[in-house]
Amino acid sequence: MLSRLLRQFLFTLVHLVVSVLVAVQNVYLRIRTQYNDFSGGEEAANDVEVILRHIPYIIKKPKHLVILTDMTQHTLKDLALVVIWSLVAGVPYISFHDVTGELKENETKLFLEVEKCKKGVPGCIKWSNRPNLNGYTNGIQAHTITINVFTASDGRPKIAECIRKIANNELNCKRKTNEFTAQEFDEVLRQFYPSIPDPDLVMYTGSSCRTYGLLPWQIRLSEFVQLSLDQCINIQCYIGALYKYNKCDQRFGK
Amino acid sequence: MSWIKEDAVSFFQLFCIKVIKTGRIPQHIAFIMDGNRRYAKKHHEDTAVGHSKGFEKLSETLKWCLDLGVPEVTVYAFSIENFKRSAEEVDALMDLARDKFQKLLNEIDVINEWGVRLYVSGRLSLLPVDLRKMVSHAMLATRHNNKLKLNIAYAYTGRDEISRAASYLVDGVNNKELIVEDIDEELISQSLDLGEPELLVRTSGEVRLSDFMLWQVTNSVLYFTDVLWPEFSIWNLLAAIIHFQRHAPPSKYEDSSSEEKKQFLAKLENRRWQQLELFLNC
Repeated sequence: MLSRLLRQFLFTLVHLVVSVLVAVQNVYLRIRTQYNDFSGGEEAANDVEVILRHIPYIIKKPKHLVILTDMTQHTLKDLALVVIWSLVAGVPYISFHDVTGELKENETKLFLEVEKCKKGVPGCIKWSNRPNLNGYTNGIQAHTITINVFTASDGRPKIAECIRKIANNELNCKRKTNEFTAQEFDEVLRQFYPSIPDPDLVMYTGSSCRTYGLLPWQIRLSEFVQLSLDQCINIQCYIGALYKYNKCDQRFGK
Repeated sequence: MSWIKEDAVSFFQLFCIKVIKTGRIPQHIAFIMDGNRRYAKKHHEDTAVGHSKGFEKLSETLKWCLDLGVPEVTVYAFSIENFKRSAEEVDALMDLARDKFQKLLNEIDVINEWGVRLYVSGRLSLLPVDLRKMVSHAMLATRHNNKLKLNIAYAYTGRDEISRAASYLVDGVNNKELIVEDIDEELISQSLDLGEPELLVRTSGEVRLSDFMLWQVTNSVLYFTDVLWPEFSIWNLLAAIIHFQRHAPPSKYEDSSSEEKKQFLAKLENRRWQQLELFLNC
Protein backbone atom coordinates (compact mmCIF):
# COMPACT_ATOMS: atom_id res chain seq x y z
CA MET A 1 0.00 0.00 0.00
CA LEU A 2 2.66 2.45 1.13
CA SER A 3 4.96 1.44 -1.69
CA ARG A 4 2.15 1.91 -4.20
CA LEU A 5 1.49 5.40 -2.90
CA LEU A 6 5.19 6.13 -3.04
CA ARG A 7 5.37 4.91 -6.62
CA GLN A 8 2.40 6.98 -7.62
CA PHE A 9 3.92 10.01 -5.93
CA LEU A 10 7.24 9.52 -7.69
CA PHE A 11 5.47 8.95 -11.00
CA THR A 12 3.62 12.26 -10.66
CA LEU A 13 6.85 13.91 -9.60
CA VAL A 14 8.74 12.61 -12.64
CA HIS A 15 6.08 13.92 -14.99
CA LEU A 16 5.98 17.25 -13.17
CA VAL A 17 9.74 17.62 -13.47
CA VAL A 18 9.61 16.76 -17.17
CA SER A 19 6.85 19.34 -17.71
CA VAL A 20 8.93 22.00 -15.97
CA LEU A 21 12.02 21.11 -18.01
CA VAL A 22 10.05 21.24 -21.26
CA ALA A 23 8.62 24.63 -20.29
CA VAL A 24 12.11 25.97 -19.53
CA GLN A 25 13.36 24.63 -22.85
CA ASN A 26 10.47 26.34 -24.64
CA VAL A 27 11.32 29.68 -23.10
CA TYR A 28 15.00 29.23 -23.91
CA LEU A 29 14.27 28.35 -27.53
CA ARG A 30 11.94 31.29 -27.93
CA ILE A 31 14.57 33.70 -26.60
CA ARG A 32 17.17 32.13 -28.87
CA THR A 33 15.02 32.47 -32.00
CA GLN A 34 14.32 36.09 -31.14
CA TYR A 35 18.02 36.65 -30.69
CA ASN A 36 18.67 35.05 -34.05
CA ASP A 37 15.97 37.11 -35.69
CA PHE A 38 17.39 37.84 -39.10
CA SER A 39 14.24 38.88 -40.89
CA GLY A 40 13.73 42.40 -39.59
CA GLY A 41 10.10 42.42 -40.72
CA GLU A 42 7.04 40.27 -40.79
CA GLU A 43 5.41 40.94 -44.09
CA ALA A 44 5.72 38.71 -47.10
CA ALA A 45 7.77 41.21 -49.07
CA ASN A 46 10.57 41.10 -46.50
CA ASP A 47 10.24 37.37 -46.05
CA VAL A 48 11.03 37.01 -49.72
CA GLU A 49 14.38 38.73 -49.22
CA VAL A 50 15.16 36.55 -46.21
CA ILE A 51 14.47 33.39 -48.16
CA LEU A 52 16.45 34.54 -51.18
CA ARG A 53 19.39 35.21 -48.89
CA HIS A 54 19.33 31.69 -47.44
CA ILE A 55 18.33 29.63 -50.43
CA PRO A 56 21.85 29.41 -51.99
CA TYR A 57 23.01 27.51 -48.87
CA ILE A 58 20.22 24.98 -49.08
CA ILE A 59 21.46 22.31 -51.45
CA LYS A 60 18.81 19.63 -51.02
CA LYS A 61 15.43 21.22 -51.55
CA PRO A 62 12.27 19.20 -50.97
CA LYS A 63 10.24 18.40 -54.10
CA HIS A 64 7.07 17.85 -52.16
CA LEU A 65 6.57 19.49 -48.81
CA VAL A 66 3.69 18.49 -46.54
CA ILE A 67 2.53 20.58 -43.60
CA LEU A 68 0.58 18.75 -40.91
CA THR A 69 -2.17 21.29 -40.44
CA ASP A 70 -4.28 21.64 -37.34
CA MET A 71 -6.74 24.49 -37.84
CA THR A 72 -7.26 24.83 -34.09
CA GLN A 73 -3.58 25.88 -33.90
CA HIS A 74 -2.71 27.40 -37.26
CA THR A 75 -4.31 30.33 -39.04
CA LEU A 76 -5.04 30.59 -42.76
CA LYS A 77 -2.50 33.40 -42.89
CA ASP A 78 0.20 31.06 -41.50
CA LEU A 79 -0.54 28.55 -44.23
CA ALA A 80 -0.73 31.16 -46.98
CA LEU A 81 2.69 32.48 -45.96
CA VAL A 82 4.18 28.99 -46.06
CA VAL A 83 2.90 28.69 -49.62
CA ILE A 84 4.56 31.99 -50.56
CA TRP A 85 7.85 31.09 -48.85
CA SER A 86 7.89 27.71 -50.58
CA LEU A 87 7.12 29.34 -53.91
CA VAL A 88 10.08 31.66 -53.48
CA ALA A 89 12.31 28.84 -52.25
CA GLY A 90 11.50 26.81 -55.36
CA VAL A 91 9.56 23.94 -53.80
CA PRO A 92 7.38 22.62 -56.65
CA TYR A 93 4.67 20.86 -54.61
CA ILE A 94 3.15 21.75 -51.27
CA SER A 95 0.37 19.89 -49.52
CA PHE A 96 -1.57 20.49 -46.35
CA HIS A 97 -2.62 17.40 -44.45
CA ASP A 98 -5.77 18.51 -42.73
CA VAL A 99 -5.84 16.87 -39.29
CA THR A 100 -9.12 18.34 -38.08
CA GLY A 101 -11.05 18.48 -41.35
CA GLU A 102 -11.62 22.24 -41.07
CA LEU A 103 -9.22 23.27 -43.80
CA LYS A 104 -10.91 21.11 -46.42
CA GLU A 105 -14.12 23.03 -45.74
CA ASN A 106 -12.34 26.36 -45.94
CA GLU A 107 -10.23 25.75 -49.00
CA THR A 108 -11.72 28.78 -50.76
CA LYS A 109 -10.74 30.99 -47.86
CA LEU A 110 -7.20 29.63 -48.05
CA PHE A 111 -7.20 30.41 -51.77
CA LEU A 112 -8.19 34.03 -51.10
CA GLU A 113 -5.62 34.35 -48.34
CA VAL A 114 -2.86 33.00 -50.61
CA GLU A 115 -3.83 35.43 -53.37
CA LYS A 116 -3.70 38.27 -50.83
CA CYS A 117 -0.22 37.32 -49.63
CA LYS A 118 1.08 36.69 -53.12
CA LYS A 119 0.79 40.33 -54.26
CA GLY A 120 4.08 41.38 -55.80
CA VAL A 121 5.72 37.99 -55.49
CA PRO A 122 6.72 36.50 -58.85
CA GLY A 123 5.64 32.96 -59.58
CA CYS A 124 2.67 30.84 -60.37
CA ILE A 125 0.37 29.06 -57.92
CA LYS A 126 -1.64 26.05 -59.09
CA TRP A 127 -4.45 24.37 -57.24
CA SER A 128 -4.91 20.68 -57.84
CA ASN A 129 -8.60 20.79 -57.00
CA ARG A 130 -9.43 23.98 -58.89
CA PRO A 131 -7.61 23.98 -62.19
CA ASN A 132 -9.83 26.84 -63.47
CA LEU A 133 -8.53 29.16 -60.78
CA ASN A 134 -4.90 28.65 -61.61
CA GLY A 135 -2.92 31.84 -61.66
CA TYR A 136 -0.79 33.35 -64.33
CA THR A 137 2.96 33.67 -64.43
CA ASN A 138 4.62 37.04 -64.28
CA GLY A 139 8.35 37.14 -64.76
CA ILE A 140 10.33 34.73 -66.85
CA GLN A 141 12.32 32.82 -64.26
CA ALA A 142 9.45 32.53 -61.80
CA HIS A 143 8.75 29.28 -59.97
CA THR A 144 5.54 27.30 -60.00
CA ILE A 145 4.01 25.65 -56.95
CA THR A 146 1.11 23.22 -56.87
CA ILE A 147 -1.11 23.07 -53.81
CA ASN A 148 -2.99 20.02 -52.56
CA VAL A 149 -5.12 19.57 -49.48
CA PHE A 150 -5.27 16.01 -48.13
CA THR A 151 -7.23 14.51 -45.29
CA ALA A 152 -7.10 11.11 -43.61
CA SER A 153 -9.72 9.92 -46.13
CA ASP A 154 -7.07 10.17 -48.88
CA GLY A 155 -4.99 7.59 -47.02
CA ARG A 156 -6.29 4.24 -45.83
CA PRO A 157 -9.81 4.56 -47.32
CA LYS A 158 -8.36 5.17 -50.80
CA ILE A 159 -6.24 2.02 -50.55
CA ALA A 160 -9.34 0.10 -49.43
CA GLU A 161 -11.26 1.49 -52.41
CA CYS A 162 -8.45 0.41 -54.71
CA ILE A 163 -8.50 -3.15 -53.35
CA ARG A 164 -12.32 -3.28 -53.70
CA LYS A 165 -12.03 -2.23 -57.33
CA ILE A 166 -9.37 -4.85 -58.03
CA ALA A 167 -11.57 -7.50 -56.38
CA ASN A 168 -14.45 -6.33 -58.54
CA ASN A 169 -12.32 -6.63 -61.68
CA GLU A 170 -12.83 -2.97 -62.45
CA LEU A 171 -9.12 -2.33 -62.79
CA ASN A 172 -6.49 -3.72 -65.02
CA CYS A 173 -3.66 -5.10 -62.95
CA LYS A 174 -0.74 -7.44 -63.29
CA ARG A 175 -0.06 -10.14 -60.76
CA LYS A 176 2.69 -12.54 -61.67
CA THR A 177 2.71 -14.71 -58.52
CA ASN A 178 -0.01 -15.37 -55.88
CA GLU A 179 0.95 -12.23 -54.09
CA PHE A 180 1.16 -8.70 -55.48
CA THR A 181 4.60 -7.21 -55.28
CA ALA A 182 4.86 -3.65 -54.03
CA GLN A 183 5.65 -2.48 -57.57
CA GLU A 184 2.60 -4.17 -59.06
CA PHE A 185 0.28 -2.76 -56.44
CA ASP A 186 1.89 0.66 -56.72
CA GLU A 187 1.07 0.80 -60.42
CA VAL A 188 -2.61 0.24 -59.72
CA LEU A 189 -2.81 2.52 -56.71
CA ARG A 190 -1.19 5.38 -58.61
CA GLN A 191 -4.40 5.85 -60.58
CA PHE A 192 -6.14 7.01 -57.39
CA TYR A 193 -3.80 9.89 -56.74
CA PRO A 194 -2.72 13.02 -58.58
CA SER A 195 0.56 12.36 -60.34
CA ILE A 196 2.83 14.20 -57.95
CA PRO A 197 6.06 13.03 -56.28
CA ASP A 198 5.89 11.30 -52.89
CA PRO A 199 6.32 13.73 -50.00
CA ASP A 200 9.99 14.01 -49.08
CA LEU A 201 9.57 16.42 -46.20
CA VAL A 202 6.79 16.57 -43.63
CA MET A 203 6.80 19.52 -41.24
CA TYR A 204 4.91 19.41 -37.97
CA THR A 205 4.51 21.81 -35.09
CA GLY A 206 4.36 20.95 -31.41
CA SER A 207 6.37 18.47 -29.41
CA SER A 208 4.68 15.29 -30.52
CA CYS A 209 5.08 13.68 -33.94
CA ARG A 210 2.31 11.58 -35.46
CA THR A 211 1.22 10.99 -39.03
CA TYR A 212 -2.53 11.39 -38.46
CA GLY A 213 -3.21 9.03 -41.35
CA LEU A 214 -1.18 11.01 -43.88
CA LEU A 215 -0.92 9.05 -47.16
CA PRO A 216 0.43 5.75 -45.77
CA TRP A 217 1.59 4.44 -49.14
CA GLN A 218 3.50 7.59 -50.06
CA ILE A 219 5.31 8.50 -46.83
CA ARG A 220 7.79 5.62 -46.78
CA LEU A 221 10.81 7.87 -47.20
CA SER A 222 9.45 11.18 -45.93
CA GLU A 223 11.50 12.96 -43.32
CA PHE A 224 9.52 14.27 -40.35
CA VAL A 225 10.98 17.60 -39.29
CA GLN A 226 9.75 19.72 -36.43
CA LEU A 227 8.86 23.24 -37.47
CA SER A 228 8.49 24.64 -33.96
CA LEU A 229 8.12 23.35 -30.44
CA ASP A 230 5.12 25.55 -29.80
CA GLN A 231 2.50 25.76 -32.51
CA CYS A 232 3.72 28.93 -34.20
CA ILE A 233 4.79 29.12 -37.83
CA ASN A 234 7.22 31.87 -38.79
CA ILE A 235 9.94 32.49 -41.31
CA GLN A 236 12.77 31.65 -38.89
CA CYS A 237 11.42 28.24 -38.03
CA TYR A 238 10.59 27.57 -41.68
CA ILE A 239 14.16 28.23 -42.77
CA GLY A 240 15.44 26.34 -39.73
CA ALA A 241 13.41 23.29 -40.80
CA LEU A 242 14.78 23.48 -44.35
CA TYR A 243 18.32 23.53 -42.94
CA LYS A 244 17.51 20.55 -40.72
CA TYR A 245 16.21 18.62 -43.74
CA ASN A 246 19.32 19.57 -45.64
CA LYS A 247 21.57 17.90 -43.11
CA CYS A 248 19.76 14.55 -43.24
CA ASP A 249 21.63 12.19 -45.47
CA GLN A 250 19.52 9.62 -47.17
CA ARG A 251 20.83 6.08 -47.42
CA PHE A 252 17.72 4.02 -47.91
CA GLY A 253 18.44 0.33 -47.72
CA LYS A 254 22.12 0.70 -48.43
CA MET B 1 24.24 -14.46 -26.41
CA SER B 2 20.73 -15.58 -25.65
CA TRP B 3 17.46 -14.05 -26.82
CA ILE B 4 16.47 -12.63 -23.47
CA LYS B 5 19.18 -11.23 -21.29
CA GLU B 6 18.41 -12.14 -17.72
CA ASP B 7 20.72 -9.86 -15.78
CA ALA B 8 19.82 -6.73 -17.76
CA VAL B 9 18.26 -4.81 -14.89
CA SER B 10 19.78 -3.49 -11.67
CA PHE B 11 17.77 -2.95 -8.52
CA PHE B 12 17.58 0.80 -9.04
CA GLN B 13 16.52 0.36 -12.67
CA LEU B 14 13.79 -2.05 -11.60
CA PHE B 15 12.58 0.54 -9.13
CA CYS B 16 12.39 3.17 -11.87
CA ILE B 17 10.58 0.72 -14.15
CA LYS B 18 8.03 0.20 -11.38
CA VAL B 19 7.52 3.95 -11.00
CA ILE B 20 6.97 4.47 -14.74
CA LYS B 21 4.69 1.43 -14.85
CA THR B 22 2.27 3.28 -12.58
CA GLY B 23 1.19 5.22 -15.66
CA ARG B 24 0.00 4.06 -19.07
CA ILE B 25 2.32 1.61 -20.77
CA PRO B 26 2.19 1.27 -24.58
CA GLN B 27 0.60 -2.06 -25.48
CA HIS B 28 2.77 -2.41 -28.55
CA ILE B 29 6.17 -0.79 -29.18
CA ALA B 30 7.90 -0.86 -32.55
CA PHE B 31 11.64 -0.27 -32.89
CA ILE B 32 13.66 0.72 -35.93
CA MET B 33 17.04 -0.49 -34.73
CA ASP B 34 19.23 1.90 -36.64
CA GLY B 35 22.89 2.77 -36.10
CA ASN B 36 24.69 -0.59 -35.89
CA ARG B 37 27.05 0.29 -38.71
CA ARG B 38 27.72 3.79 -37.48
CA TYR B 39 28.48 2.28 -34.08
CA ALA B 40 30.98 -0.12 -35.65
CA LYS B 41 32.60 2.73 -37.57
CA LYS B 42 32.80 4.87 -34.46
CA HIS B 43 34.59 2.10 -32.58
CA HIS B 44 36.74 1.06 -35.58
CA GLU B 45 35.16 -2.37 -35.73
CA ASP B 46 33.82 -4.55 -38.50
CA THR B 47 30.16 -3.97 -39.49
CA ALA B 48 29.39 -7.56 -38.47
CA VAL B 49 30.46 -6.64 -34.93
CA GLY B 50 28.03 -3.72 -35.00
CA HIS B 51 25.17 -5.96 -36.06
CA SER B 52 25.97 -8.50 -33.40
CA LYS B 53 26.08 -5.72 -30.76
CA GLY B 54 22.72 -4.67 -32.10
CA PHE B 55 21.33 -8.11 -31.44
CA GLU B 56 22.68 -8.04 -27.89
CA LYS B 57 20.85 -4.77 -27.39
CA LEU B 58 17.65 -6.35 -28.67
CA SER B 59 17.82 -9.09 -26.06
CA GLU B 60 18.36 -6.50 -23.34
CA THR B 61 15.46 -4.43 -24.64
CA LEU B 62 13.20 -7.47 -24.60
CA LYS B 63 13.95 -8.00 -20.93
CA TRP B 64 13.14 -4.35 -20.20
CA CYS B 65 9.87 -4.66 -22.08
CA LEU B 66 8.96 -7.82 -20.16
CA ASP B 67 9.64 -5.99 -16.90
CA LEU B 68 7.65 -2.99 -18.04
CA GLY B 69 4.74 -5.21 -18.97
CA VAL B 70 4.74 -4.33 -22.67
CA PRO B 71 2.87 -7.25 -24.27
CA GLU B 72 3.99 -6.76 -27.88
CA VAL B 73 7.26 -5.63 -29.46
CA THR B 74 8.01 -5.33 -33.17
CA VAL B 75 11.50 -4.76 -34.52
CA TYR B 76 12.66 -3.90 -38.02
CA ALA B 77 15.56 -6.26 -38.57
CA PHE B 78 15.96 -6.49 -42.33
CA SER B 79 14.25 -4.65 -45.15
CA ILE B 80 13.67 -6.01 -48.65
CA GLU B 81 15.76 -3.03 -49.77
CA ASN B 82 18.65 -4.30 -47.63
CA PHE B 83 19.17 -7.08 -50.18
CA LYS B 84 20.77 -4.31 -52.24
CA ARG B 85 23.66 -3.99 -49.80
CA SER B 86 27.00 -5.60 -50.60
CA ALA B 87 26.81 -9.40 -50.96
CA GLU B 88 29.33 -9.70 -48.17
CA GLU B 89 27.20 -7.75 -45.72
CA VAL B 90 23.97 -9.50 -46.72
CA ASP B 91 25.68 -12.86 -46.18
CA ALA B 92 26.97 -11.75 -42.81
CA LEU B 93 23.46 -10.65 -41.80
CA MET B 94 21.95 -13.94 -42.98
CA ASP B 95 24.63 -15.83 -41.02
CA LEU B 96 23.83 -13.76 -37.96
CA ALA B 97 20.15 -14.64 -38.35
CA ARG B 98 20.97 -18.34 -38.85
CA ASP B 99 23.12 -18.32 -35.76
CA LYS B 100 20.48 -16.56 -33.64
CA PHE B 101 17.55 -18.67 -34.81
CA GLN B 102 19.60 -21.83 -34.20
CA LYS B 103 20.30 -20.60 -30.67
CA LEU B 104 16.64 -19.87 -30.21
CA LEU B 105 15.71 -23.36 -31.32
CA ASN B 106 18.31 -24.80 -28.93
CA GLU B 107 16.95 -22.88 -25.99
CA ILE B 108 13.30 -23.21 -26.92
CA ASP B 109 12.37 -24.40 -23.42
CA VAL B 110 13.65 -21.17 -21.90
CA ILE B 111 11.72 -19.12 -24.47
CA ASN B 112 8.56 -21.05 -23.69
CA GLU B 113 9.15 -20.50 -20.00
CA TRP B 114 9.35 -16.75 -20.61
CA GLY B 115 6.19 -17.04 -22.70
CA VAL B 116 7.63 -15.31 -25.77
CA ARG B 117 5.73 -15.79 -29.03
CA LEU B 118 7.95 -15.20 -32.01
CA TYR B 119 6.51 -14.03 -35.28
CA VAL B 120 8.56 -13.19 -38.35
CA SER B 121 6.80 -10.86 -40.74
CA GLY B 122 7.91 -10.33 -44.29
CA ARG B 123 8.18 -11.98 -47.67
CA LEU B 124 9.70 -15.20 -46.37
CA SER B 125 9.96 -16.62 -49.90
CA LEU B 126 12.92 -14.24 -50.41
CA LEU B 127 14.97 -15.93 -47.67
CA PRO B 128 17.49 -18.75 -48.22
CA VAL B 129 15.72 -22.10 -47.82
CA ASP B 130 17.58 -23.19 -44.69
CA LEU B 131 16.94 -19.92 -42.90
CA ARG B 132 13.28 -20.00 -43.91
CA LYS B 133 13.02 -23.45 -42.42
CA MET B 134 14.49 -22.33 -39.11
CA VAL B 135 12.29 -19.27 -38.97
CA SER B 136 9.17 -21.34 -39.64
CA HIS B 137 10.22 -23.85 -37.01
CA ALA B 138 10.75 -21.12 -34.42
CA MET B 139 7.36 -19.57 -35.16
CA LEU B 140 5.50 -22.86 -35.02
CA ALA B 141 7.25 -23.88 -31.80
CA THR B 142 6.30 -20.69 -29.95
CA ARG B 143 2.89 -19.97 -31.44
CA HIS B 144 0.95 -20.73 -28.25
CA ASN B 145 2.94 -18.44 -25.97
CA ASN B 146 1.25 -15.23 -24.92
CA LYS B 147 3.28 -13.23 -22.44
CA LEU B 148 5.30 -11.25 -24.93
CA LYS B 149 4.70 -11.20 -28.66
CA LEU B 150 7.93 -10.51 -30.45
CA ASN B 151 7.45 -9.65 -34.13
CA ILE B 152 10.55 -9.48 -36.28
CA ALA B 153 10.19 -7.69 -39.57
CA TYR B 154 12.57 -9.59 -41.82
CA ALA B 155 12.64 -9.29 -45.63
CA TYR B 156 9.94 -6.77 -44.91
CA THR B 157 8.67 -3.45 -46.22
CA GLY B 158 5.41 -1.76 -45.31
CA ARG B 159 4.39 -1.49 -48.94
CA ASP B 160 5.06 -5.17 -49.49
CA GLU B 161 2.95 -6.03 -46.45
CA ILE B 162 0.01 -3.96 -47.74
CA SER B 163 0.37 -5.53 -51.20
CA ARG B 164 0.33 -9.03 -49.76
CA ALA B 165 -2.76 -8.24 -47.67
CA ALA B 166 -4.42 -6.85 -50.81
CA SER B 167 -3.74 -10.17 -52.57
CA TYR B 168 -5.34 -12.17 -49.72
CA LEU B 169 -8.44 -9.98 -49.78
CA VAL B 170 -8.84 -10.16 -53.56
CA ASP B 171 -8.43 -13.94 -53.33
CA GLY B 172 -10.99 -13.99 -50.53
CA VAL B 173 -13.52 -12.36 -52.85
CA ASN B 174 -12.61 -14.67 -55.73
CA ASN B 175 -13.06 -17.73 -53.47
CA LYS B 176 -16.42 -16.39 -52.30
CA GLU B 177 -15.22 -16.14 -48.70
CA LEU B 178 -15.87 -12.40 -48.72
CA ILE B 179 -18.03 -9.96 -50.62
CA VAL B 180 -16.45 -6.86 -52.12
CA GLU B 181 -18.20 -4.59 -49.61
CA ASP B 182 -16.51 -6.41 -46.74
CA ILE B 183 -13.16 -4.93 -47.73
CA ASP B 184 -12.70 -1.87 -45.57
CA GLU B 185 -9.98 -0.22 -43.51
CA GLU B 186 -10.60 -2.43 -40.53
CA LEU B 187 -10.44 -5.69 -42.47
CA ILE B 188 -7.22 -4.60 -44.17
CA SER B 189 -5.70 -3.77 -40.77
CA GLN B 190 -6.63 -7.24 -39.57
CA SER B 191 -5.25 -8.96 -42.68
CA LEU B 192 -1.78 -7.44 -42.25
CA ASP B 193 0.96 -9.40 -40.48
CA LEU B 194 1.54 -6.73 -37.86
CA GLY B 195 -0.82 -4.90 -35.52
CA GLU B 196 -0.79 -1.18 -34.78
CA PRO B 197 1.98 -0.02 -32.44
CA GLU B 198 1.17 2.66 -29.90
CA LEU B 199 4.76 3.89 -29.85
CA LEU B 200 7.41 3.75 -32.55
CA VAL B 201 11.03 4.39 -31.60
CA ARG B 202 13.70 5.10 -34.19
CA THR B 203 17.29 5.40 -33.04
CA SER B 204 20.34 7.11 -34.55
CA GLY B 205 18.77 10.44 -35.41
CA GLU B 206 17.05 9.50 -38.67
CA VAL B 207 13.55 10.92 -38.88
CA ARG B 208 11.77 8.73 -41.39
CA LEU B 209 9.88 5.45 -41.41
CA SER B 210 11.98 3.80 -44.15
CA ASP B 211 8.99 1.77 -45.31
CA PHE B 212 8.22 0.32 -41.88
CA MET B 213 4.62 -0.24 -40.71
CA LEU B 214 3.30 2.47 -43.02
CA TRP B 215 -0.33 1.42 -42.59
CA GLN B 216 -0.12 0.83 -38.87
CA VAL B 217 1.43 4.08 -37.60
CA THR B 218 -1.60 6.26 -38.32
CA ASN B 219 -2.28 6.79 -34.63
CA SER B 220 1.13 5.95 -33.20
CA VAL B 221 3.38 8.32 -31.32
CA LEU B 222 6.64 8.57 -33.27
CA TYR B 223 9.74 9.02 -31.15
CA PHE B 224 13.04 9.81 -32.82
CA THR B 225 16.21 9.74 -30.75
CA ASP B 226 19.84 10.45 -31.66
CA VAL B 227 21.37 7.55 -29.75
CA LEU B 228 22.80 4.69 -31.86
CA TRP B 229 20.98 1.40 -31.38
CA PRO B 230 23.88 -0.51 -29.73
CA GLU B 231 24.13 2.36 -27.22
CA PHE B 232 20.38 2.45 -26.49
CA SER B 233 19.92 2.22 -22.73
CA ILE B 234 17.05 1.63 -20.37
CA TRP B 235 17.02 5.39 -19.72
CA ASN B 236 16.40 6.04 -23.42
CA LEU B 237 13.54 3.56 -23.32
CA LEU B 238 12.04 5.13 -20.21
CA ALA B 239 12.36 8.59 -21.80
CA ALA B 240 10.47 7.30 -24.84
CA ILE B 241 7.74 5.93 -22.59
CA ILE B 242 7.49 9.19 -20.63
CA HIS B 243 7.16 11.00 -23.97
CA PHE B 244 4.42 8.53 -24.91
CA GLN B 245 2.63 9.10 -21.61
CA ARG B 246 2.65 12.85 -22.23
CA HIS B 247 1.40 12.70 -25.82
CA ALA B 248 -0.50 9.46 -26.41
CA PRO B 249 -3.93 9.77 -27.97
CA PRO B 250 -6.67 7.88 -26.11
CA SER B 251 -6.60 4.22 -27.08
CA LYS B 252 -9.60 2.90 -28.91
CA TYR B 253 -10.56 -0.71 -29.07
CA GLU B 254 -13.53 -1.69 -31.08
CA ASP B 255 -14.09 -4.82 -33.02
CA SER B 256 -17.19 -4.59 -35.14
CA SER B 257 -16.29 -7.37 -37.54
CA SER B 258 -19.11 -9.42 -38.96
CA GLU B 259 -19.17 -13.21 -38.73
CA GLU B 260 -18.03 -13.60 -42.38
CA LYS B 261 -15.07 -11.34 -41.81
CA LYS B 262 -14.08 -13.24 -38.69
CA GLN B 263 -14.31 -16.53 -40.54
CA PHE B 264 -12.20 -15.14 -43.36
CA LEU B 265 -9.57 -13.92 -40.90
CA ALA B 266 -9.51 -17.30 -39.14
CA LYS B 267 -8.99 -19.02 -42.49
CA LEU B 268 -6.27 -16.54 -43.41
CA GLU B 269 -4.50 -17.24 -40.13
CA ASN B 270 -4.80 -20.96 -40.76
CA ARG B 271 -3.34 -20.66 -44.24
CA ARG B 272 -0.40 -18.74 -42.81
CA TRP B 273 0.45 -21.54 -40.40
CA GLN B 274 -0.01 -24.15 -43.12
CA GLN B 275 2.41 -22.23 -45.33
CA LEU B 276 4.94 -22.21 -42.49
CA GLU B 277 4.55 -25.95 -42.04
CA LEU B 278 5.20 -26.32 -45.74
CA PHE B 279 8.35 -24.23 -45.46
CA LEU B 280 9.46 -26.35 -42.52
CA ASN B 281 8.93 -29.66 -44.26
CA CYS B 282 10.20 -28.80 -47.71
